[in-house]
Amino acid sequence: MMAGSALRRLMAEYKQLTVNPPEGIIAGPINEDNFFEWEAFITGPEGTCFEGGIFPAKLVFPPDYPLSPPKMQFLCEMFHPNIYADGRVCISILHAPGDDPMGYETSAERWSPVQSVEKILLSVVSMLAEPNDESGANVDAAKMWREDREQFNKIAEEIVRKTLDLPPP
Amino acid sequence: MADDASSSSGITGNTVENSINQDELIMKQQREIEKEISETIPLVGEIEELQTLEKEYNEDPIYLLKVKDLSSKYKSIRRTRPDGNCFFRAFSYAYLERLLTDKQEYDKFYEIAKNSKDILVALGFSQFTVEDFYETFMEVIQRVGEHAGSTPDLIETVRMELHDKFNKQGYSDYIVVYLRLITSGQLQTDQEFYQNFIEGPRTVTEFCRQEVEPMYKESDHIHIIALSNALKVCVRVKYMDRGEGSQVIAHDFPEGSTPLVHLLYRPGHYDILYA
Repeated sequence: MMAGSALRRLMAEYKQLTVNPPEGIIAGPINEDNFFEWEAFITGPEGTCFEGGIFPAKLVFPPDYPLSPPKMQFLCEMFHPNIYADGRVCISILHAPGDDPMGYETSAERWSPVQSVEKILLSVVSMLAEPNDESGANVDAAKMWREDREQFNKIAEEIVRKTLDLPPP
Repeated sequence: MADDASSSSGITGNTVENSINQDELIMKQQREIEKEISETIPLVGEIEELQTLEKEYNEDPIYLLKVKDLSSKYKSIRRTRPDGNCFFRAFSYAYLERLLTDKQEYDKFYEIAKNSKDILVALGFSQFTVEDFYETFMEVIQRVGEHAGSTPDLIETVRMELHDKFNKQGYSDYIVVYLRLITSGQLQTDQEFYQNFIEGPRTVTEFCRQEVEPMYKESDHIHIIALSNALKVCVRVKYMDRGEGSQVIAHDFPEGSTPLVHLLYRPGHYDILYA
């Protein structure tokens, strides 16, 4: 019954995202035979160092979704305080209570069954715009974001160009 | 040891990060152990004599006195899994079990339950996130209604089905989610009133997002008050702790009506009580 409920919910979310897509975000199952693995494309938010980039990511849903949150991983090179070297995204909305890596404010929004793929992707867009340098998914990136913004922006620009298949500046 | 010392000397930053990772690892292990222990306990257990509590507190005179006081009013207890959802699970189990023998109360509750989704959608919850939980909730309620106030045999059949469903994560957790949403809806509908109960600078909506809607978040007075108001059900909670005296103090939510659900609270956990 659990996986059946998860499937029904994921189909409803996919439909919702197709009919009414949020700006700068595309998401859906990689293969419609398997609704538990999605890919998403996120446009770098305007006015930030990630502006213009198109970042591919993968979402993997557990059989008890939406009781438990999906996992999300960028498939392109990323350099960001809240993204691990292997692309995994570390933000509070992807964690249930009691599953708290250190460094989140207690007030941060957690996963709950009324969250959705859309809410996650919108949170990731905000995360790209405003990194949380308390969470140390990528300690080097967090340090550079704090201490050498110019260098951080330069690396971000290179990453943006790579996602567009452009040569380095 | 010597290796450790030499490799970490000079890179103070890394040492700090390593120790954070260590702490995180230990905390993670601890959570996993707690989860394992918790999962050995059924979501909702069989009914037990109240005396089983005495055994638990054999060497604890304060609690023994209180169990004695408790047993002057209650005969048995039904335990629930201590997973942070216990208030919602204990409440819904005890209430639905009660409705099996009280058709009039059932009819009143059915109307409230039926209209609850529209209230949530009007508050801004998106239809597709609420729908599945609502449907599972109504399915369980309707089955109770089919034989509410019927013959003892039929009631017993449905009671066993209910027990079975409450021990299937798919049903049981969906019911908990929906009760959390009803609680959140009530808090947001009557924000001005509930804001007084919330400590710190959080708004009612923030409180709901952080403390009510996520699974496994423990319930406090404010959750109980909101749920009992939303469903118009009076709950009596017996508070058993290390406080002075030999009496177990009772709180009724809301005060002044006849409680239909009786729960035992011990710090961090709720079980069901039967007279």
